[in-house]
Amino acid sequence: MTTWLIILAVSIVTFLLRASFLVFADPHRFPHRFRQALTFVPPAVLAAIVAPGLLLRDGVLDVSASNERFVAGLVAIVATIFARNATAAIAAGMSTLWLLQWLGV
Amino acid sequence: MAIPTPREEFIAGARAITPVLLGTIPFGFVAGVASVASGLTPVEGMALSILAFSGIAQLIVVQLIAANSPILVAIAAAAVVSLRHLMYSAAISPYLAHLSPRWRALLAFLMTDQSMAMTPMRFNEPGDKSNRHWHVLGTSVTLYLVWQATVLIGIVLGAQIPASWSLDFAVVLTFIALLVPTVRTRADLAAAIVAFGVALAAAGLPYRLSLVAASIAGIAAGMAIELARRAPREHCAGRR
Repeated sequence: MTTWLIILAVSIVTFLLRASFLVFADPHRFPHRFRQALTFVPPAVLAAIVAPGLLLRDGVLDVSASNERFVAGLVAIVATIFARNATAAIAAGMSTLWLLQWLGV
Repeated sequence: MAIPTPREEFIAGARAITPVLLGTIPFGFVAGVASVASGLTPVEGMALSILAFSGIAQLIVVQLIAANSPILVAIAAAAVVSLRHLMYSAAISPYLAHLSPRWRALLAFLMTDQSMAMTPMRFNEPGDKSNRHWHVLGTSVTLYLVWQATVLIGIVLGAQIPASWSLDFAVVLTFIALLVPTVRTRADLAAAIVAFGVALAAAGLPYRLSLVAASIAGIAAGMAIELARRAPREHCAGRR
């Protein structure tokens, strides 16, 4: 019973956060500065999501060439810039990671 | 040029999201496995996934249910890890404001990191925009269905993919693929770099609050560069 209450409550909360501005606000009334700030949401949030996946190992910062995920992530960034598509990023990143792990660098 | 029909936009959206699904599949699988491992029944695990549709929220909530946490704690945790959706909601609202409340509620329910990244990209392309909400729907519905299918597979199989395959890294890579095209100006780059740094510096904060802190710092950095330039070249979301 408690589990179902939590499931329902969490679902309502996640929906309300998603609906907040999109359903209940009028963007034509957003102040100019606010609209400007919103254009930085995609690069800022996505970079914040990516960072720990590349540089944290068990919660510890590892900025070294022996951090395979960091190296593979850099390769994926370069691949995305040149190929401009997600498949290239994933293929380049995963194959680099597997290669480095196989080599045991 | 003819205006793309709703059907054409929907299919184009579904196609555009397809490469990103490579990261969704292992993530959904992990979320399914985690819900079973936390003691949820298959029906409860699927219900949470179908109704809440958020990988990070699902992972946190099943952990808290397993730990017999009070309801309010679970709700608060889900709200905090979903705070980025508040920002996404504001960021994409200028593109979708012309739609009916029902449409906006539907697209809000289906909102993801991926649709937040792809909506401005599609709307900023040249051409007629009148049916582009169908593109958003195409990306969102595709991701929703694939997500539910992979969560279900995780729940049914319940076994882990060998950790040595490092498939969890595919999730990070899809976010890189989403991130790179959003960086178009020097101010975007500043926002990304500062957010990246703060996310690492604040990594010790609980409930992924580092994500919120890093996002706000990144947005502030982008604004600082934008305002410092003073050039009146407009860069507004939803400029039509």
